[in-house]
Amino acid sequence: MSDETVDVLIIGAGAAGAALAWSLAETRMNVLCLEQGDWMDPAQYPSTGMDWEMRQFGDFGLSPNSRGRPEDYPINDSESPIAVSNFNAVGGSTILYAAHFPRFHPGDFQVKTLDGVADDWPIDYALLEPYYDLNARMMGVAGLAGDPAYPDKEVPLPPVPLGVLGETLGRGFNKLGWHWWPSDSAIATEAYEGRAPCINLGPCITGCAQGAKASTDVTYWPSAIRRGVTLRTRCRVREITVGADGLADGVLYYDEHGAEQRQRAEMVVVACNGVGTPRLLLNSRSQLFPEGLANRSGLVGRNLMFHPYAMVTGIFDGRLEGYKGPTGCCIMSQEFYETDLSRGFVRGYTFETLRGLGPVSTALLGMSSGRVPWGAGHHEAYEALFDRTAGMVVICEDLPEPHNRVTLDPDLVDSNGIPAPKIHYRLSENSHRMLEHCVARGSEVLEAAGAVETFADAPLPPAGWHLMGTARMGTDPDASVVNEWGRCHDVRNLFIIDGSIFVTAAAVNPTNTIQALALYIADQIVKNLANLFE
Amino acid sequence: MSDDALLSSDEERDLAGVLDEIIPPSEDGRLPGAGELGLTAAIERAMNDTPDLRPAVAQGLAALHELVESRGPGDFASLSREERRGVLNELATLQPAFLPGLIFHVYAHYYQDGRVLEALGLEPRPPHPLGYELETGDLSLLDPVRDRPKLYRR
Ligand SMILES: Cc1cc2nc3c(=O)[nH]c(=O)nc-3n(C[C@H](O)[C@H](O)[C@H](O)COP(=O)(O)OP(=O)(O)OC[C@H]3O[C@@H](n4cnc5c(N)ncnc54)[C@H](O)[C@@H]3O)c2cc1C
Repeated sequence: MSDETVDVLIIGAGAAGAALAWSLAETRMNVLCLEQGDWMDPAQYPSTGMDWEMRQFGDFGLSPNSRGRPEDYPINDSESPIAVSNFNAVGGSTILYAAHFPRFHPGDFQVKTLDGVADDWPIDYALLEPYYDLNARMMGVAGLAGDPAYPDKEVPLPPVPLGVLGETLGRGFNKLGWHWWPSDSAIATEAYEGRAPCINLGPCITGCAQGAKASTDVTYWPSAIRRGVTLRTRCRVREITVGADGLADGVLYYDEHGAEQRQRAEMVVVACNGVGTPRLLLNSRSQLFPEGLANRSGLVGRNLMFHPYAMVTGIFDGRLEGYKGPTGCCIMSQEFYETDLSRGFVRGYTFETLRGLGPVSTALLGMSSGRVPWGAGHHEAYEALFDRTAGMVVICEDLPEPHNRVTLDPDLVDSNGIPAPKIHYRLSENSHRMLEHCVARGSEVLEAAGAVETFADAPLPPAGWHLMGTARMGTDPDASVVNEWGRCHDVRNLFIIDGSIFVTAAAVNPTNTIQALALYIADQIVKNLANLFE
Repeated sequence: MSDDALLSSDEERDLAGVLDEIIPPSEDGRLPGAGELGLTAAIERAMNDTPDLRPAVAQGLAALHELVESRGPGDFASLSREERRGVLNELATLQPAFLPGLIFHVYAHYYQDGRVLEALGLEPRPPHPLGYELETGDLSLLDPVRDRPKLYRR
């Protein structure tokens, strides 16, 4: 490998890495991104074949442990009721994400002040607002203005269609007088910036063959590369190295042939997500940092937050056309978002309605729930279920707790022999109470919408797709890992830009906020360039 | 026999009979049985790809053969409907991994078959590239929500 020292080395080409790379591309800096995965070929995505539903159990599965692609690393989640879901490729987990794209509420940055729990962020909504707007334009966000749950915001594209399913559920919310609104979705509902419009394929969470969903391989990356950023794939970083001056000076990584390489850099930016980032920092031990890089506070890996999820499903008499349309994006409700202690818990949750199930998923649900027997009566039972289910996931705010954490597994390693992460996580009493409440309210609204039967699963075991808090932001070096603009307190030229830096989790999907933060941090890097190393 | 075939032709015939018991043809003749649809080949491919399925099916079919033989001459398909059902119920106790593993794959392959999709009134094609039309929906349903005061705290 070359001896060249790059100005900025980004590790991870997912949601955050892509946004920061694009933003820094307008400087004259030499920007390189190393990504362990490869470019995806949308022509090979499951929705192009008859086996599209089954591939979610195979090469497009949620868990790297069962998916077993060569670019995946194993994650020991045996000590967590929630398993990690991710994807490793150019685009990172946005290849699989549902593209539900809400912002935080202003109050989400002031949890301590408003509710006396967790901590306030050192930044606020007003500061991030222009970056949310920029991100909406770059990713192409579809939605509808006027939602009373939010301050006014920029939404460049018309909302995803409600369809029969969305209308049916909307009527249910109206019957109860509850808030609901079409979901902000990172989905091109019209042709947008060279991307083809959504054609309601359905299975967004196994990759979008149409290119309408804003995974960053089709949004930020093509533009960043045109502007001069270099993206090197199939490069797995083993550790970030530091010089005698205590500054990061580059990385050691394995290339696609498994050969160890060294890359020098003036500045290193970590964007490996809320599990991959603490794993890399903990694997980067040296004399100066025996407990892992940037970990003098002991907080690297701690305060892991998922969003505990519930899934509530209703069975309806009529057909809902639920197998059409973006699977995770339809309507949402924030009726129970803000704290009301009379409910028995602090903070709140969002309902996000899903579309219905495809033919195979219906059969498998019927099998596992005993609703569709084998043998006599099979066809009648199947037809009573197919296209008659509508569900919602409920995304509960998780609060940071130091015992919920990522460590290094003493035995498990990836294909390059790098120690794998281990998850230690348990649900708090507050989360249990919130899940109980949301399942009851979710069933109530489905019944109001006409469901003849409802059932629920909580917590939802595979729902570890939002990974936050493991290198938290703050102004106090003893109580946080990075400062208010993503710079590590302990290493002045090392930045973290993914969900690891979240102080609290809010009760919405995080990616819009992760990317707004990445864009903001990129601006701060440029602004502070002159005295970055002092 | 295809390259993937793991079963003898007798076993394939027994398996087809079992598949037709798991998903029989519909009474109105609209939907085919899973055996008649020719899903044995798909199950054999699944046996190749799924480590646990292979022994479960192989042992299950061997036990089935013994149970049928113990009832006299003839194969599984020649038994009456009640007898076939009886054999499968016995098998559920003798070989507990056989039916559950099989049912998962039978359901999965049956409902991705174009002939079944068509019979259900769906288009026999994957979602891409044609996609689907979906109504925007009636956004005036949101009027009561629009009228609400701001819900968020500052
Ligand atoms: C099924 C699913 C559904 C989801 N739905 C939504 C949703 O609707 N809305 C939402 O907001 N969010 C959703 N998410 C979460 C969303 O995908 C993530 O929040 C987002 O992608 C995180 O961005 P990131 O850049 O931090 O990490 P990622 O996008 O995960 O990217 C990290 C990248 O770093 C690379 N990497 C890691 N370690 C190394 C290493 N050592 N060397 C080199 N490269 C490395 C990885 O390969 C990966 O490509 C979903 C996720 C999943 C899995």
